Formats: sequence, C-alpha cells, structure tokens
Amino acid sequence: MGKVKIKRKSTLIDMTAMSDVTVLLLTFFMLTSTFLQKEPVTVLTPSSVSETKVPTANLASILVSPEGKVFISIAGEADPNVAGGEWATEPIRKEVLKNAVAEYNKTHSNKVNLTEAEVDAFSKIGSFGVPMKDMKKFLAMSQTEQDKYITDMSNPGVGIPLDDNKDLTKPNEFQIWMRAIYSSGNENLQSQMKKGEGIAVKADKDTPYETVHNVLDNLQTLKMNRFSLMTALKTEQD
Amino acid sequence: MAQIEQSDKGGKKKKGAQKKMSIHVDFTPMVDMNMLLITFFMLCTTMIKSQTLQITLPTNEKVEQSDMNQAKESEAITLIVDTERDAEGNIKKDENGKPMNIVYYYEGKPEVDNDAIQAFISTGSLPNNKLSQEAFIGNEGNVQRGIRKILHDRNTAVLSKIDVLKKDWREKKLSSNKDANDSIYQARAKEIRNDSTLTRPVVVIKATNRASWEGLIGALDEMQINQISRYQIDNMNKIDSLMLEDYLKKHPSK
Repeated sequence: MGKVKIKRKSTLIDMTAMSDVTVLLLTFFMLTSTFLQKEPVTVLTPSSVSETKVPTANLASILVSPEGKVFISIAGEADPNVAGGEWATEPIRKEVLKNAVAEYNKTHSNKVNLTEAEVDAFSKIGSFGVPMKDMKKFLAMSQTEQDKYITDMSNPGVGIPLDDNKDLTKPNEFQIWMRAIYSSGNENLQSQMKKGEGIAVKADKDTPYETVHNVLDNLQTLKMNRFSLMTALKTEQD
Repeated sequence: MAQIEQSDKGGKKKKGAQKKMSIHVDFTPMVDMNMLLITFFMLCTTMIKSQTLQITLPTNEKVEQSDMNQAKESEAITLIVDTERDAEGNIKKDENGKPMNIVYYYEGKPEVDNDAIQAFISTGSLPNNKLSQEAFIGNEGNVQRGIRKILHDRNTAVLSKIDVLKKDWREKKLSSNKDANDSIYQARAKEIRNDSTLTRPVVVIKATNRASWEGLIGALDEMQINQISRYQIDNMNKIDSLMLEDYLKKHPSK
C-alpha cells in the first residue's frame, strides 16, 4: 500500500508584478497631481460648456460661501524665479497685506499694526477672510486653530466685510483688499486682472443671486468690470 | 522577507560544483506601502481643473441717454432668471430631482407705462403683460427645448453659418494642422458671431434676488451654446419686478 503523500504547498505569491503596477500608478498620480487648495467652505460650482481653464498663477480668486461670507486667495507667479523671486505667491501676499493695512489705517481710527512675524504667518495662509480688526488675533493662532476659526460660518468675525458702498474715498474692506492686490506692484498680475483672467469668482450653485450680486456690485464699483466666473465642466445629461 | 533557496534536491552532489541559488524577495510590504501612497495621492489631488466663464459688466458711471447704445427693439430679448424656493429658502426640486430654475422672458420693450402701473395698483392686475415662462432644459436628441429653443430660433442666421463652419472644422478642411484648424475655426466663428449684417438678438439677463447662482450661470451658458455675442447682465428694475409679480399672480404654481 502506497502512502498518500500530502504535498506541502507554499503559499508565497510572487508580488513583483503587483509591485510593478503599483509603482506605475504611483508615478502617474505623482506627476499629474496638483494639490487641492484648502478652502474654508466647500462649494459646488455650477456647470457650463466653457472650456477655458482657470489659470493657476497670477490669480486673485474670490470665494463666496452660501451664507454670503467672502474669502480671497492670492496666487503669484508660477515661476518663483521671475524677476528675482519677488512675485512668487508668498512675497506677493506679504506685499498685499502691507498695502491693505496701510490703506485701512488711513480711513479707520482703530489702527492695525502687524509685526514682521505676523506678516510672515499671513503669507502661509491659502484663503483668508477675517475683518481687519481681528487680523492680529487671527494671525496669532496656530494653524489648527485658524482652520477651526475660519470654517465656522456662524461667527460674525469670519469673512471679509463688504457692504453696498459706492464711495471709493471710504472703501469697505473688500474694496481695500482688491485694490491692494491690484496695486501690489506685480505687472503681470495687474494685466491679468485688467484682461479679466486675474479675478475669479467662485460661488456655490445654490447661493441666492442677491449674495453674489453684492460681490459683483463691489467689483463694478472698483471698475474691475471684467472677471471670470468659475464653473465645472458640463456633463452630457445636463 | 528575502530568502535564498538552495536547490539541492537529494542526489549526489558533485564536488566543486556551484550551488544553484535562486533569490526570492517578498514584495508584499513594498506593495502595501505603494498602495498607501497611491491612496494618499488619489485623495489629495484634483484632476479636473475648474473652467471659467469670462464676463464683462457695464460700468456704473453715469452715461448720457444719447451716448448709450440702443438695441433695436426687434432684436432685444430680456431674460429674468428665478428659482423656486420654499419658506426656509431651500431650492425646490422637481420630480427628477433637478433644481427648479425658471426663466421668464419677453421680447422688445416691456410696454408697461405709468398708466399700466396705476392700473396694477388699483386693480392688482397688469394689462398686456408680455412675460412668458420657460425652463432650462437641454436638447432632446438634436432638437432644442425650453429657453434654448427660444434663443436658438432668434439666432438662426448665425447658427446656420456656424454649423457649416463646424462641419469643415470636424473634417479638418480649414487646415490639416490640428492647432491651425482650431485657431482658424475660433477666429471665423468669432467673425460670424459679430457679423452685423446678420440678424442677431441682444439679450439682457436679469436675475431676481432669490434666483440661484446656477440659474444665472445657466443663462450665461445658453449664450455660449447659442453663439450669442451680444448679451448683458443687468439689474432688475421696478417694471421687471411688477411684471414678474403680476405673472406669478396670474399663474399660481401648482
């Protein structure tokens, strides 16, 4: 009688091929990726058939939350070495903040004085949107605190204040910021803004027109009559 | 992890013969790590860049009546975008789950004068209200529907010329080079859109306060779809609001 031999099978699977595939995928994602910008509110933009892409450099984008809070984010030159690197994103943010603070102090009695360290902290923030009087307090917070603070839409101290103001000798804070961005000294950004490609308005599709209209009205007062509206790509069934 | 296996399956070994070695490296941890990295990159990236619609608003400087460009009455069409909302301000959805963005339109002048406004105040009804209602709906096959049809029918002179051009562009008749083909198409299409010898509509887009942003973008989008070059976003005036109020009174929603 022959013995029944139980063969010991090894459970090792050759993972080399699998590894090859994953490395390929990884390379693909690494090369094609642009990171998501951190924004205080997530908005779903309406869709359109327009195929013009939003520029990544030299752009001031205005984010309007459904509650009507306004946030601005600034992007500088794509190539940080252009003109000695003075108009890369971080230096330009610093310049804008200094301009805006100077302009604010001219028209308001409660002066804002920021230290160099606070200006530095500001340049690291993607989208900002706090009233100027709270700016010092906001910049003193740690990053996690800032994120928590700025995403709380019920807080009246969040969002750039803007009202219906047609008098440019007494600009509201939104107007101060937009002017500071325009006159930051970067000529490329300025010409992009003139062409209408440097200003982008982003709003949720359910936002009442009244809310967005307020922002558009302010831009109109600033004579920034040309700008872009951010939309998503229309799908077949729409 | 990695193991070196000696293949010595019994038998005699010749002295001095080299041992055959096969090297197995276990790639499982490597795959694990890669998967983690892929997951990270997949979650943190945006593949689709936002599109943009370029718009130009009119200046709000005072312009003398005589300096204004007056649109021909026969060419003018005014759209008023509105959205149905419930008491809490949430957008109502229809049975297909689509938000109820509605567009009202009238052609030419509103033809509501002071007498008509007086009549509205006394009787609560506006005589000769020209407003009509349409919906934002896409094509059914090749047939336009809703507001798209209204606009399409008023811009047929331009659209038929563009269709001919589009056909040439698809068959690459403009140029054999792909980029040149595209740019020639763009330039010619622009020329056709701005050709003043053709009858083209002038569209004035207005939106009520409760209209959703999607509705307004939808209206702007119809301009692109229907190749309309002359359009303008404007504010609602008193007559527009009156007409809308009157229309809603006469046609209560179900």
